[in-house]
Amino acid sequence: MISTDNLTMKYGETTVLDKLNLTIKPGELYCLLGANGAGKTTTINLLLGFIKPSSGSAIINGLVVAENVHKSKKNLAYIPENLMLYPNLTAVENLDYFSGIGGKSFKRQELEAFLEEAGLQADAFHNRISTFSKGMRQKVGIALALAKNASVLLLDEPTSGLDPKASNEFGILLQKLRSNGVAILMATHDLFRAKEIATHIGIMKNGQLKQEFVASEITLSDLENAYLSTMGFKEMAV
Amino acid sequence: MYKYNFAYEFKSLFRNGWIQLLTILLFALFWFAFSNGHEKVAKRQADIQAAFDEVKESDQVMLKLLDSVENGLSVSASPWTIPSRPMAVGNYHPRVAAMDPGQLAYIATGQSDLFSHNVKPTTSGDDAALNFTEIINPVQQLFGSFDPSFVIIYLLPLIIIAFTYNVLSAEKESGTIRLLASQPISIHSWVLQKMAIRLFWVTLLLTLILVLVLFLTNTAGNLMELLPIWGICIAYSLFWFALSFAINLWVGSSSKNAISLIGLWLLFVLLIPSVMNQMGSTLYPMPSRTLMVNKLRTIKAEATEKQDEILDNFLRDHPEYAINDPNQGRSFYHRYMASQQLVREELRPVVMEFEDQLQKQQAWISQLKWASPSIMVQQELNALSGTSTKDYENFRKQATGFANVWREHLLPFLYNNEPFSSADYENLPAFKYQPLESKGTSKTIVILMVMGILVIGIGYLRGFGLQQKNNLIIQ
Repeated sequence: MISTDNLTMKYGETTVLDKLNLTIKPGELYCLLGANGAGKTTTINLLLGFIKPSSGSAIINGLVVAENVHKSKKNLAYIPENLMLYPNLTAVENLDYFSGIGGKSFKRQELEAFLEEAGLQADAFHNRISTFSKGMRQKVGIALALAKNASVLLLDEPTSGLDPKASNEFGILLQKLRSNGVAILMATHDLFRAKEIATHIGIMKNGQLKQEFVASEITLSDLENAYLSTMGFKEMAV
Repeated sequence: MYKYNFAYEFKSLFRNGWIQLLTILLFALFWFAFSNGHEKVAKRQADIQAAFDEVKESDQVMLKLLDSVENGLSVSASPWTIPSRPMAVGNYHPRVAAMDPGQLAYIATGQSDLFSHNVKPTTSGDDAALNFTEIINPVQQLFGSFDPSFVIIYLLPLIIIAFTYNVLSAEKESGTIRLLASQPISIHSWVLQKMAIRLFWVTLLLTLILVLVLFLTNTAGNLMELLPIWGICIAYSLFWFALSFAINLWVGSSSKNAISLIGLWLLFVLLIPSVMNQMGSTLYPMPSRTLMVNKLRTIKAEATEKQDEILDNFLRDHPEYAINDPNQGRSFYHRYMASQQLVREELRPVVMEFEDQLQKQQAWISQLKWASPSIMVQQELNALSGTSTKDYENFRKQATGFANVWREHLLPFLYNNEPFSSADYENLPAFKYQPLESKGTSKTIVILMVMGILVIGIGYLRGFGLQQKNNLIIQ
């Protein structure tokens, strides 16, 4: 489970995240929408323990992240916008390395099974990452989440730059993880993908969570209007 | 984590060609340096051998002449050079005082090409004018030729810097740091492991290359003797790896890391030794050699004017040489040798001033050598190779001592007006160089390792501090 309790981050006088309260239960996929600088990546950085909150707390599976930096990452997987892996290692090797340093050891067949489950084609398993497209690298990231048996998945604009087919495939994979009980938080600009895969959607602006929706209770058009009006583009809303 | 880091770090380094490049580079550098070192030692040995051959040849001529003289035959040689005259033996048939190269001389040849490794002291020659190159400052001796010590002290740190400057920054710049940091690991421990693994590879390669080069240069017999050098090499490498670890955590970007590490290299390898050299010369300036030579000439001129008086005084001090037979006169050499004794005594304070200043400089450098691991390592390698300032000073003292022994052996013949015969040939003194006892390298190795561990500690504290502030990734 992912939750934040009045999570606030300030850089000097500038508040980049203002008393954020979020709860994402197992089996939920929460999409955070917002323009650049809205506070989406800061939220993810705080949940990962990359930065320390000014006040409030980020909580992963009941553990306050700032106090349990390593423990909170045991069952957490993270896929950034551009998942960078070691270019000289193959997909299997990268998966083995990252799951290994995280404390999980697997046989080669098991690693291949994770990659297969993540939708990577078998003939790419033993190719070096330097030959992979972004979509293929994101699939290795999903395989890592599977290998770690992650109960929490944090994604920071994972579909930006993916072609529609790859983006769609990625969405299907996330749905699969969600249905397996993983709590997923995804920061994205992609309203269409958010409406399609999310269970909950939040719109952020200037570090504040302005609106929240249950995805099944809102149409794409209403979501678009809500987003545009939140961003201050009322004249563009239909 | 270590098992995975170990396995994949090697794969990664091998696949991007680092291991191959490192192997070729280290092998080429050490092979060239070892060959160069051996060549210098071979030249030194050849020079010494040539000097001995020359003496052997000269001795054969001497023995032939003695044989002719003893059999009453006339010899076609200047009376001054006929070896039945003890001073002719002392001046024209001197022995060689040679500083034989040690077993490991090829490791650190230092400025051995500038120093004399063999001299031939004569009875009437000046000890102060023996052909020793002036030993002015011990640090000057630290800058040598392309020998193994040059590779270890100057080039190995640069290779280590190139190998490690971006261990953390490359992860930040390529973006893999975010995925790494999302794992339940501490990044500074991860960096430390990466450094330890790279140190392991450098150690392994150094060991293999040293053994291989030893076989290729036919010095494999010295394998055990090389153990202290290997130890110093590894401890010195540890220090540079530790510095790189600390810089990786303290600084940030690859370019800044590289500049910082090159700056530290300049500081430890060039700047501190140069400053110490300069300060040593300023604090303990060597007396002018020109003044010493001028003084020598003045004393000699004065002594020449008063040779009769000097001889009388000398004989008063040495009654064993006084003869009461008025038919036996005193030649030029009687007066000259007596005056030489006086010249030596008068010059002693000037020579002592040189030695005193040299010792002060050495003591000063020894006290401050801890400021630079490079100086520590160079001093240690020079000491192991028998090419340190102390070794040359030891040889100079022994050779000067031998000059005295040579003179004292022949003086009784002169003052007792006894001819030198072929029977006396066997009793001529010979020089045997006694190298300094090695003090062992364990102290330097331990100090280098402690320094390395301290630097690691500083780096680790920085990493721990950044982790507490949760900004190791965002830094």
